[in-house]
Amino acid sequence: MSQSETEYLEGVASKEYEHGWHTDVESGKAPKGLNEDIVRYISQRKDEPEWLLGWRLKAFRYFKMLMEDEDSYPEWAHLKYVKPDLQDISYFSAPKDKAQYDSLDEVPDELLETFERLGIPLQEQKQLTGVAVDAVMDSVSVATTFKEKLKEKGVLFMSFGEAARQHPEIVREHLGSVIPYTDNYFAALNSAVFSDGSFVYVPEGVRCPMELSTYFRINEQGTGQFERTLIVAEKGSYVSYLEGCTAPMRKENQLHAACVELVAHEDAEIKYSTIQNWYPGNPETGEGGVYNLVTKRGICKGDRSKISWTQLETGSAVTQKYPSVILKGDDSVGEFYSVAFTKGHQQADTGTKMVHLGKNTKSTIISKGISAGKAQNSYRGLVKVGKNAENARNFSQCDSLLIGDQCGAHTFPYIEIGNPSAQVEHEATTSKVGEDQMFYCHQRGLGEEEALKLIVNGFCKEILAELPMEFAVEAKELLAIELEGSVG
Amino acid sequence: MPTTLDTSAPAKDRFLSAFEMSNGQALNGKNASISSHREAAIQRFAELGVPTNKLEAWKYTDISKIVDREYTLPLSMNVPDVDASDLDDVLIEDLDAHRVVTVNGRVHNGLSDIGTLPDGVVVSSLADAGANHPDIVEAHYGKYADFEDEAMTALNTAFVQDGLFVYVPSGTAVEKPIYAVHLTVSDADVMIQPRHLFVVEDGGIATIIEMQHTLTDARVFTNTVREAYVGARGNLDHYIGQVESDASSQVQTTAAYHEDNSVFSTNTITLSGEMVRNNLTITPDGEFCESNLYGLYLGKDQMHVDNQTLVDHVHADCVSNELYKNVLNDASKGVFNGKVFVRPDSQRINAYQSNKSIVLSNEANMYTKPELEIYADDVQCSHGATSGQLDEEGIFYLRSRGLSEKRARILMLQAFAQDIVDEIRVDALREHMTHRLRERFASYFDRSE
Repeated sequence: MSQSETEYLEGVASKEYEHGWHTDVESGKAPKGLNEDIVRYISQRKDEPEWLLGWRLKAFRYFKMLMEDEDSYPEWAHLKYVKPDLQDISYFSAPKDKAQYDSLDEVPDELLETFERLGIPLQEQKQLTGVAVDAVMDSVSVATTFKEKLKEKGVLFMSFGEAARQHPEIVREHLGSVIPYTDNYFAALNSAVFSDGSFVYVPEGVRCPMELSTYFRINEQGTGQFERTLIVAEKGSYVSYLEGCTAPMRKENQLHAACVELVAHEDAEIKYSTIQNWYPGNPETGEGGVYNLVTKRGICKGDRSKISWTQLETGSAVTQKYPSVILKGDDSVGEFYSVAFTKGHQQADTGTKMVHLGKNTKSTIISKGISAGKAQNSYRGLVKVGKNAENARNFSQCDSLLIGDQCGAHTFPYIEIGNPSAQVEHEATTSKVGEDQMFYCHQRGLGEEEALKLIVNGFCKEILAELPMEFAVEAKELLAIELEGSVG
Repeated sequence: MPTTLDTSAPAKDRFLSAFEMSNGQALNGKNASISSHREAAIQRFAELGVPTNKLEAWKYTDISKIVDREYTLPLSMNVPDVDASDLDDVLIEDLDAHRVVTVNGRVHNGLSDIGTLPDGVVVSSLADAGANHPDIVEAHYGKYADFEDEAMTALNTAFVQDGLFVYVPSGTAVEKPIYAVHLTVSDADVMIQPRHLFVVEDGGIATIIEMQHTLTDARVFTNTVREAYVGARGNLDHYIGQVESDASSQVQTTAAYHEDNSVFSTNTITLSGEMVRNNLTITPDGEFCESNLYGLYLGKDQMHVDNQTLVDHVHADCVSNELYKNVLNDASKGVFNGKVFVRPDSQRINAYQSNKSIVLSNEANMYTKPELEIYADDVQCSHGATSGQLDEEGIFYLRSRGLSEKRARILMLQAFAQDIVDEIRVDALREHMTHRLRERFASYFDRSE
């Protein structure tokens, strides 16, 4: 491992939540509140084409309907939190300097320093890790690397706003095709006010030469982030996308309601990995912390296509997300690998939906939940086999590990079978760390905390192995840090 | 006088006005504790209304369309006549038991053959128990089947008239099973609401078999509530056979509560009916309890069967086992929602839950939701759910041994269902069920050939 990568990982592995500071970049910020003018303002600030504003407005009008109906707020999840006040949020903020940069040199030093402290030396990463980084700071992309190299292959990797201007035909065709704005409460909100996000387009037959990665960072006080990410993989292409997050410490609750849409055409494969480590709130009181209410969905549109979600969720006060796959093409494959770690007062209600529509479709769900302190961790999933999904196959495994006697682990799997040839298996277990395992570790000279780290890492191993290498190492460290203080 | 529900009014109001009309006359039982619940229950029902599939608990089962029919409510004390020969047709052969027959939810003494019971054991109608054993009824009635969130339980509690009452005093073993034959007889569409109460005191042992039959082609809707109490070191073995007509629907709520070192086992086998909903809640409230839940559902035609189970581990050091199996043919629908709830501080719980389904036809649908909700860390809980077809390799093996395709498939299905039937510890009942299952499986293939 190179020196800088080691440093980088060590930075991430630091013990306290050290990403809790606040950069002092003056922001061009919209006034608080949600109304049609704000939607128009966002669209105008982002220099968007007419059709996109039209789409936003349609979404907004639908959302307005939802806001007026109190029952429309999704309260079915196993979560307890104060509803975010949508009128108390500023829906747009851009770093004060101009919104786009051609090269890193143009990025203000302050911003670069922020990334430095986060442990992402952009410059070095560029040379050493082979990862192109599209860093989203607040809502506007500030730096994009490796663009040229991708360009050679014809891969489009840019901010969503840029894509809407430069490649309107692709964006227009796919935007909302997987998650329509009527999908759910937060998808409607996001569709109306989404700020920015990433756009990836991989042309036919191209294997994307590197892992694409975006570091999200919620930065400005009082701004929710509403990313919109769209990844389109044309026939026979492959792309792996990484998403990782940290957020600064603050008292008020922050709302994060992103939408991620994936479209895989014939023989294409999309691999989407996430590490989420946002501020979980005060560990003693549960105060503050991010609300992570996200809609993620992919569609295996063509035959033999594949979508794979891998996630490591360790942060946020409230997490509610169900990365899903619609298996429409024949012989398509959906995968979901997840580790959700909650401690303190964190709450997570996460899982996946696998909707089998095509013939010979396969899906695998492996979910590991770890709950410590006073945390509540739920797996909620749906496996649905449509009437015409001949020979659909699903395997689901949900394991929960409990550390401490005041936490909770819950499983709510829904299985709906509409075709007799389907073969669906689901199994779940809940238990604490085995005393025999601990005893064995002690006997080999490991202390309690070390032993617990070892056991938890073993518990999550099959998921972490699914992450790209850079993430896998980071993930392991992250889990180890999270576990500290959980013993006793 | 039987009251006919007025279908011009919304379903909820029909019951409210029927309650108004009958209250004070037909509904006033002899027992104060039964009557005292009525007002609160009808009020709660008025608030909750008839469940619709907008409620998560009723997501896959729309009972409102069953409720929304022009039923008569037989609120009078008169019970229609039943020929002894009709009864003979449905009785289980060679079952040596204390037989008690109910007709439209009322115990029929003429048809019953209770025989000699051990000292202190009571098998009677709930109405009689209210008069003769008010203290027992007072101590247990309405204590386990909570109607706060269950509209159908509230409805039953408001209209309770009669049902089966079983009492086993402390330290007494009832050697022969208590065999309840529930008959529904009516010329017109009818809705009945039986209420059963089983009390097994400390160290008592009993086996209760309930078979549900309909002797009519009219549409029948039965809304049963059953409460069971098992005291410390007690053992209650409970079986339900749902073999009603294809025009019969039911909501059946069973709430069991048991104490230290006791065992409660229940086994529900559903072979027919239009729409069947079984709500089973077991609360083992004591240390070293064992709760066993078994169920089998064989779907055919348009049947819709929904099994909801909840094991509420409120106390540490208990074990629960759950196994439900389904075979779905034709356009039948199956729903299973099993929940294991481990309360804070209920440590050292071992809870196992499994739901397995075989889907045989394109029109059949299976909806499964096995849930775990766990708030204690020193536990071993697991659940599993599978759905699939018959194993073709197994069929190939049997065929290579000379069995016909049909015989091979029947044998495979029987093997699948046998896990549940084997849990029946009453020989005659097990034989009877095995025979019924074989007939059913054979019928699957006779039609398709």
